[in-house]
Amino acid sequence: MKAVTWTGINQLSVEDVPEPQILNDHDVILKVRRTTTCGSDLHLLSGYIPFMRAGDVIGHEFMGEVVEVGKAVRERKVGDRVVVASFVSCGNCWYCRQEMYSLCDNSNPNPGITEGLWGQSIGGCIGYSHAVGGYAGSHAEYVRVPYADVGSFVVPDGVSDDRALFASDAASTAFTGVDLGGVRPGDTVAVWGAGGVGQLAARISAIVGAAQVFVVDRLPERLEQARTHAGAETIDYTTTDVAAELRERTGGRGPDVCIEAVGMEAHAPGAHGVYDQVKQQLRLQTDRPTAVREAVMACRKGGSVFTLGVFASMVDKFPLGAIMNKGLTLRGAQVHGPRYIPRLLELMERDELVTEHLATHVMPLSEAPRGYELFKEKQDGCVRAVFTP
Amino acid sequence: MPNPLLDRAADLGGTLLNRLQGLKLPGVGTASVSDDPERAARRWRAVTVLCSPADVRVDDLPAPLVALGSLVEVRVTPAPGDKGTEIAARYRATPSDEELGRLRAALRASKQLLETGEVLRMDPRPHGERKQTPQGRLLDGVVANAKKEGVL
Repeated sequence: MKAVTWTGINQLSVEDVPEPQILNDHDVILKVRRTTTCGSDLHLLSGYIPFMRAGDVIGHEFMGEVVEVGKAVRERKVGDRVVVASFVSCGNCWYCRQEMYSLCDNSNPNPGITEGLWGQSIGGCIGYSHAVGGYAGSHAEYVRVPYADVGSFVVPDGVSDDRALFASDAASTAFTGVDLGGVRPGDTVAVWGAGGVGQLAARISAIVGAAQVFVVDRLPERLEQARTHAGAETIDYTTTDVAAELRERTGGRGPDVCIEAVGMEAHAPGAHGVYDQVKQQLRLQTDRPTAVREAVMACRKGGSVFTLGVFASMVDKFPLGAIMNKGLTLRGAQVHGPRYIPRLLELMERDELVTEHLATHVMPLSEAPRGYELFKEKQDGCVRAVFTP
Repeated sequence: MPNPLLDRAADLGGTLLNRLQGLKLPGVGTASVSDDPERAARRWRAVTVLCSPADVRVDDLPAPLVALGSLVEVRVTPAPGDKGTEIAARYRATPSDEELGRLRAALRASKQLLETGEVLRMDPRPHGERKQTPQGRLLDGVVANAKKEGVL
């Protein structure tokens, strides 16, 4: 079958690879109908997320049709049209039973790597680094889905492939941030990053009752989408002092909840942006935490800051004093997909959550390297490139 | 065709992962002292399994732990806060790094069997051309040893 493979830093290829097989009784094999680029893939491409092997099939945000089921699968059958959670979850360990699915104890076959990095291993993720399992990814004609009863969800007839696709990761990641960040009715929420996750975090904040939602970015086409599709007020950080603007527009308080949806390659204008970039490229810090720092400083006293963007390891110049003295809650998580996907599909079915506009570039799998180039360089207004294997 | 350089790189990858677990750099990770090697090797290794203590009997352990035979001692205790059952094991004599790796892998596999009924398999998995470079083989070595390493 055809698949998109990582072949080195900033190098992708489309290769013929063997088809996946049922390896465990809880597996299904999916014929992929839609699979999309994600901002976290860019960290793999750039070489900031280690433990990639040349030839790895990438892609973790996808939906498709079940074509084969393992003998222990009870809830799915051949022919089901399903969307799949990006993180793999067994459904039976203590973390899964607490609905902290991305912390699954049993789904990362390489626990020694992340235990060394972070003190504990997290769950596995489809189509990502070997540090989270090295599962073959979804940018392929077929993909293996382990523990399919836990991580795959039948798409209602009224929801299109193009809409359901984003329940897989972008929307469920956004919901994770909104929910665990503690957004409540009447809150003011600020979201850093107007990519797919950031826009959907803004929209879901509004759905759960936030009174005022801001989105911070620099790309005009993405800010326009945030205004149009999420109903957010927008701030361009290249022309505006974000903290000052937020204070002015919130009666001097600052946002109740600040959601960072940017991650380890945050851009920043001026000297401190150059400083962080140089330190990262010299491997003196692994991550550029520009947006998190700003969120901490902008957040109201006693508020909540949630890191949704992907970070790998160490940062410096982190305002820990502000967190302690302002009484902030700082929290982060990878996506707990199965906790949110059923509700997302309901919202999508009722047209309360629309996502099709994110798919600015739809193309066959054979054009994936060009799709990633558009996505990485933000060319031609690209928000997400979607592949149709 | 065998390539001694690439094989050496793979071996080095596995060894590096083992060594990294115990590495403490200034400003990175914990600030406490490291155990001396004897104490570190003799510590109990443990997993918490989401099941009743009645479901795990020392005389009827999962196959991966049984395979270690009388070399290890095993204790089973209830975990606090309804978190299930703690299974802890350690070697009766001071083990080698390789033996410790087998114990970690056996504990993890036993937990999977008790919680999910099977041990997760990964291979064969689809992939493109694996370039036979020293860096690639280094990673192969890391991945091959990742089940047996870690802080467990």
